[in-house]
Amino acid sequence: MIRVATFDEYEPALVKQLCKVLYQAFAVGTEHVGMVPLPAGFAEPYSAHELLVKAPVVQAYQDDKVLYLTAKKLAPRKVSGIEIPTTGVSEYDHQRALVSSAHIKNVTDNATLLARYALQEIGHTWGVHHCLDHRCSMYPPWTPSFLEGEAIFCTFCREASEKKIRLAKS
Amino acid sequence: MAEAQKALLLAVGDRVVYPNQGLCKVTGVQAMEIANQKHSFFLLQPEEDPSSTIRVPQAKVASIGIRKIGDASEVQGVIAFLKSDSDKASLDWKARARTNVERMATGGLIGLAEVVKGLQVLSELRPLPPKERALYNDARHLLVTEISAALNVPACDAEDMMDVVLFAPGKERPKRTAEEFRAQGGEDDLAIGDDLMGLDGDVPLDDSEEGAGASEETSEENAEESDEGEEAPKAAAAGKKAKAADSAKPTKAPKEPKAFKAPKEPKAAAFAATGKKTTAAPKKAAAAGKAALAKAAAKAAPAKKKPAAKKKK
Repeated sequence: MIRVATFDEYEPALVKQLCKVLYQAFAVGTEHVGMVPLPAGFAEPYSAHELLVKAPVVQAYQDDKVLYLTAKKLAPRKVSGIEIPTTGVSEYDHQRALVSSAHIKNVTDNATLLARYALQEIGHTWGVHHCLDHRCSMYPPWTPSFLEGEAIFCTFCREASEKKIRLAKS
Repeated sequence: MAEAQKALLLAVGDRVVYPNQGLCKVTGVQAMEIANQKHSFFLLQPEEDPSSTIRVPQAKVASIGIRKIGDASEVQGVIAFLKSDSDKASLDWKARARTNVERMATGGLIGLAEVVKGLQVLSELRPLPPKERALYNDARHLLVTEISAALNVPACDAEDMMDVVLFAPGKERPKRTAEEFRAQGGEDDLAIGDDLMGLDGDVPLDDSEEGAGASEETSEENAEESDEGEEAPKAAAAGKKAKAADSAKPTKAPKEPKAFKAPKEPKAAAFAATGKKTTAAPKKAAAAGKAALAKAAAKAAPAKKKPAAKKKK
């Protein structure tokens, strides 16, 4: 099950559309669990990993995936002196992912793009890596082609995620 | 050699890299007697599958290629390599596959980076075939997990750091041409690759097949042209309706005369009638065949007419 929790207010239609896309992409039940409180001590731009660790638990089962949505900016990460544009982060092969919609202009009309970011982060939680196909949602999100694509997976990434989902089911 | 020595000095609790398998933790050393010989094994626990255990003979640690996790300086070397304009992968898929398998097994961290970079650059020329796409994914996965362990950062940061180098932010990936790869001395086997991928491209034909195909096409075209040439005056004479009728005719109609083997029938008939081989004197046989056919027709004609005569009576 994928559970979508929001730190900020979003239009219900937008979240509903997002849940629908996630359900279609992974064939796993998706529901909106509502708004959750932001942990204390966070100021914009948020530290993505810290927020992901401190975010309130909304899982019903151990293998539930949780997608946290925020309308605020996330601070860019720095690893080995390389600055990484951050629109979301996720725990690879684990449960939690975080997506920011701050960089999406008029997010209400851009549900597809938000869904594309969400698909990528949830895909990472299934252990799927970045893809070479610019049409796929697993393509690196800081590239210009990412902004133009549909919220879909390429065949390879779809099969990879399906395989993980099948193995995860007990 | 240094790698081998490093691998030989394993201790319980160390994190090591098992080629093609990923990160493992040394959980113990076990002595076992197999076929009256005492062996000592390292027990390795894969981090991605903690429920399983791998027993590796101590004597074979180096030959298998087990090594300790790279350090930050090695990661810097990998990043520098990924940034550089490295050699292009060979266009010969066999050579490429052989090299990539070797790099995956014995190349260490930089070997994994070479596989990822090579296939990534190749994908800028054309889509990767499924097997190479899977290999690319495996190499990427091993590289990400090792960089993540070496720098002690989350896997998503390790992958993003690597991809910021490979996919420059705000820029599209360059489109490569086969010439760039040929300049590296690789043989061009694009046709094989396309075939393996199952693309819609033309299947490459042998020269003889191409020649045959071309001659057939040209003969067909000539036949059509000649037909058109013959039909054109007729159509002009007969008017628009005749034109429409001619155009409605199947285009392969001129082929029928080629398939027609009328001369064989008299031979067969002659052989059946005379009981002699017609190959020695085909003209005589043909004549005999005609005579036999005429006789048979003459016999058959009264036989058919008789019942009619009876009916009349």
